[in-house]
Amino acid sequence: MPVWQSIYEELKSENFEIISFAQDTGGEAAAGPIFDAGNVTYTTVIDVNHHISALYNLVNVPSGVWIDEAGKIQRINEGTYAAVHANGAFGTDEYVPIVRDWVAKGADSEYVWDLEQVRANIFQRTPEAEMAQPAFRIGTHYFTQGNDAKAEQYWTMAQELDPTSWNYLRQDLQYEDGGSAGPAWRERRTQIESAGGTYYAPLGIEPAGAANN
Amino acid sequence: MKNLIGFSMLLGTAVIAGTVTAQSATVLYNERVVAIEQTLPDASDLWVTPADLTRINDFVLKPEGACLADLCIPVLQDRDSDMYVTRSGQGWFNVTGLADKLEQAHVTDYADSIWSFGAMPLERRAFFRGGEAPDFALPDRDGNIVRLSDFRGKKVLLLTWASW
Repeated sequence: MPVWQSIYEELKSENFEIISFAQDTGGEAAAGPIFDAGNVTYTTVIDVNHHISALYNLVNVPSGVWIDEAGKIQRINEGTYAAVHANGAFGTDEYVPIVRDWVAKGADSEYVWDLEQVRANIFQRTPEAEMAQPAFRIGTHYFTQGNDAKAEQYWTMAQELDPTSWNYLRQDLQYEDGGSAGPAWRERRTQIESAGGTYYAPLGIEPAGAANN
Repeated sequence: MKNLIGFSMLLGTAVIAGTVTAQSATVLYNERVVAIEQTLPDASDLWVTPADLTRINDFVLKPEGACLADLCIPVLQDRDSDMYVTRSGQGWFNVTGLADKLEQAHVTDYADSIWSFGAMPLERRAFFRGGEAPDFALPDRDGNIVRLSDFRGKKVLLLTWASW
C-alpha cells in the first residue's frame, strides 16, 4: 500500500489515477485502517460484494487492470504487486516499471496489449460460475445482518458454483479456523497447481509480440 | 412450453390463495438493496409492479416493452403473458423472466424471499468483444459514488486487494 502511494505521487500529474478496491465483506472496519496506514490519496473503494472481480472476471487478489483515456482495457487479470514483500515469499519487482512505461508512452508502450491479447486474457466463466456472484451477494447480505449460518450457506454455494475463484474461497476461510492462508487454502492451492492450474494469472511482462502467451 | 407451464403454476397459486395477498421481498442488484412491499405470490418467479421494476434495475415499462436506454424487450400488456399479468387492475411484471431473457444470472433464497441478480450480459458485451472496461458505480469511503466514466481522459490503474 505505501509503495502504490509513492508510485501514485510520482505519476499522478501525468493524467494517471489509481482506483483501489478492497474486497472485504468486513467493510470499513476490515479494510479502512489499512488504507489509513498507507496515507493513501488515490481513489479508494471498499467492495464488500466483490463487485469488481465479478464485472472484470478477476479470480484472485491482488489483480490489476490497465484502462486507457478512452476506457479501453490495455492489460487485465494479472497478479500484481507493487514490490517483493519484505519476507521475500511473494510479490514482484517487475510490474511497477511497466506501469511507469505505460504512463509515459501510452499506446506506444511495448507493454500495451492489442485487442486480441486483451480478449485472450479475459478470464472465461461458465454460465454456472456467473451465478456465483449473486449467490455470494446473498451471503454478504445475511452476514451484514448477523445471520452467519445463512451467510455460510451462500458463500459455500458461490464457491461450488465458481470453483475457479480464489476470492470466494479465501474470503470465506477468513472466518474459519486456519484463516485465508491456512491448511485449507494450502491444500486447495496444491490441488490446483498439481493439476496444472495457476494461483495467480502469470505476469506476461515480455514486450508485445515477443511472446504471445 | 416451459413458460406456459410456469404461467399455469402462477394461476394455480393465485386460485389457491383466493385473493392476492401481500408478500414482501428483498432484491439485491449491484449495490442496491431494494425492499419490495408487495409481490404477486408465485412459486418460482418474482413479480413486481412496474414502479418497483424501475427501482430494481432501472428498466421502465413502456407501451413498446421493458426498456433500458436504447434497449426494449417487447412485453404484451393488453393480455396476460409469462412476462406481465393484470390482477384487480394492477399490473405485475416478471423480473426473473426478464433476467432469463437477458441471460442475467440470479439466485433466490425462497424462505426469506431474497432475490439476487448478477451483472447483465448486455452491459459486458463490449467488454468481451471490444476490450472496453465495464463501467461501475460504487461508493468510496466517504460515500461518494465512484464511476469509471468519471475518469475519461486519464489512464486508470484498477487494483484489487483484500485485508484477509
